[in-house]
Amino acid sequence: MAKSYSVTGRLVLALAVPLLVFFAATVIVLDDDYRRLADDSMRARLEEQLEVLISAVRLEADGRVNLSVGEPDVRGVVASPSRFASIRDAQGIPLWQSRSLVRAGFDLGPVPAEGPGRFSYRLQRNGERLAVYSRGRLLENAPGPAVLLAFSVAEDTAAQRQQRQRFREALIGGFGGLALLLLTALAWGLRRGLEPLRRLEREIAQLEGGARTALSGPWPRELAGVAENLNTLLESERSRIARYRDSLGNLAHGLKTPLAVMRAALASGRESVAAVNEQIDRMTKIIDHQLQRAAGGGAAALGQVPVAVAPLAAELRAALLRVHGAKDLLVELEIEPGSGFAGDGGDLTELLGNLLDNACKWSRSRVRLRAGIEASAPPALRLHLSVEDDGPGIAPADRERVLGRGVRADEGQPGHGLGLAMVRETVALYGGQLEIDRSELGGARLTLRLPGRAIGAT
Amino acid sequence: MPVRILVVEDEPALRDALRQELTASGHAVDVAADGKEGLFAALEYPIDVAVIDLGLPALSGLELIQKLRAAGRTFGVLILTARDRWQDKVEGLSAGADDYLAKPFHLPELQARLAVLLRRSAGWASAVLDCGPVRLDTHAQSVSVAGAAVELTSFEYRLLEHLMLHAGEVVSKTDLTERLYAQDFERDSNVIEVLVARLRRKLDPLEQLQPIETLRGRGYRFALARGGA
Repeated sequence: MAKSYSVTGRLVLALAVPLLVFFAATVIVLDDDYRRLADDSMRARLEEQLEVLISAVRLEADGRVNLSVGEPDVRGVVASPSRFASIRDAQGIPLWQSRSLVRAGFDLGPVPAEGPGRFSYRLQRNGERLAVYSRGRLLENAPGPAVLLAFSVAEDTAAQRQQRQRFREALIGGFGGLALLLLTALAWGLRRGLEPLRRLEREIAQLEGGARTALSGPWPRELAGVAENLNTLLESERSRIARYRDSLGNLAHGLKTPLAVMRAALASGRESVAAVNEQIDRMTKIIDHQLQRAAGGGAAALGQVPVAVAPLAAELRAALLRVHGAKDLLVELEIEPGSGFAGDGGDLTELLGNLLDNACKWSRSRVRLRAGIEASAPPALRLHLSVEDDGPGIAPADRERVLGRGVRADEGQPGHGLGLAMVRETVALYGGQLEIDRSELGGARLTLRLPGRAIGAT
Repeated sequence: MPVRILVVEDEPALRDALRQELTASGHAVDVAADGKEGLFAALEYPIDVAVIDLGLPALSGLELIQKLRAAGRTFGVLILTARDRWQDKVEGLSAGADDYLAKPFHLPELQARLAVLLRRSAGWASAVLDCGPVRLDTHAQSVSVAGAAVELTSFEYRLLEHLMLHAGEVVSKTDLTERLYAQDFERDSNVIEVLVARLRRKLDPLEQLQPIETLRGRGYRFALARGGA
């Protein structure tokens, strides 16, 4: 299984990596621009000084070079200790050198040909890096032919390099600080933004530890659904456990009375077979009821696929026709297409099985099941089911009693009462409704409203 | 010739009680303690009716019934179930059982149910019977004519099922009466005539099909031959 990194880790990584790449690229581009700018300005300065030098030179008739060092422009070029200049002939023999060059003995590179100037950096033996601008130039010599002279001007780059270093430091320092600031802000923002997730984690830990029974609220929109579903699940789990415990208790207590009766009957020795049989029936009834109650799924709405009513009703119809084979019955199913029950299929089978079984028992010849979805009803009451028969019906005065309100199913009357009390309990578990009235067929009509969902076009 | 009954039950006390009771009633009884044994016995011997517990080791009762029906065995099957839930009853019946009895049960009740099953003849040869435009689904117990559903009462249905299973044969009124009623009460023979008249009206309102023939003094015959329309 792939390792799953924490959400905070993912977000920090997703934001910090592009941020750092962006800052690094900016620093590199700016640094490179600065270098080009410094080169250009150095070249322009040296070019200008070379022109000054050229314009101040005159070639004597004997071939010697005469430089008007006295002129202020020329002095500016040749007097600075960090600036070097030379004039060489075509063979590279120096005809004139600035004092600084004589002192330092630097190599200003090969003699250039006639034409435009060339700019380059030259590393000297002492480690110094010189910026050199050289140009070959033909000077008119009145008596003889024109002479090629090589003019070179150079400047040491220590100051330039220092400046660049300072710029680079400022750049990295500034952007680094900015990146740090942004990352801090990002981390803080993420912390704030993800706080609900951490709270959820804490509360779930408390749920596990038993310090809490449900998740608190309110939650942000993205988490509200999860929290709500988790609470629903917890609630249904809790009521399920309560139901199991309840059933087990009722079962144990309920079975003790018949056992006592049986023991007494055996001791008396008279008509014990009939008495024991009667008690066995009673115990069976108690066990059936408690099992059914405990098995009820209840309203666990999480991840539940709606159960289609039609196929389930068709199977029940076939089963009931076999079971009630001694009676000539017409069992009609009128089920709107797409009718779905948002709950456990087993619960629906028990509900409909009990209702239809009762109807078949009480009817003379007709039983009708109708089902449909009422979209305007609240979700918990959306599925409408009605079971009708043409039997004697249930008098209005008896309806409450038949529904067995306040009577436990295993204590109820046989016949209508027993199955219906189970139906009532299951319907209550789902938060549904159960009503009794008169059917147009002549007998009773039991109407259920249960959690429903329309099942997409089939 | 005595009726041969197969009992498949894993609980020894109950199995022995059933064998004694049924043998005392004059039946020949084969017993099996699990699903595999039961399947072997059911396929080997000429069984007339079987009592099968749903919760069996080796092969569950449901699987056993499905295998029996798949192998073409059409004798009646009564299932015994400890779980009295509609879900279990429906599953058992749609797997191919004919009736069910929830534990604990009274032995006379079991005898009565077996008598009814023995009276019923072959019913599981095919899930769907087609005779001309009339289609009868024995699983869903539903009937349609030329694709349109026909609402039948349970007696009308059973009458039609019996006639269609014996399509082309003459079926006596006595046969039909026995098919409808579990007990051998003296029934008014009018009932069958009324039911047949109702069936004719529902299946053939325009009187073009004439699916059921009356043979005076002998009985009835389903006139449409087996096979699709």
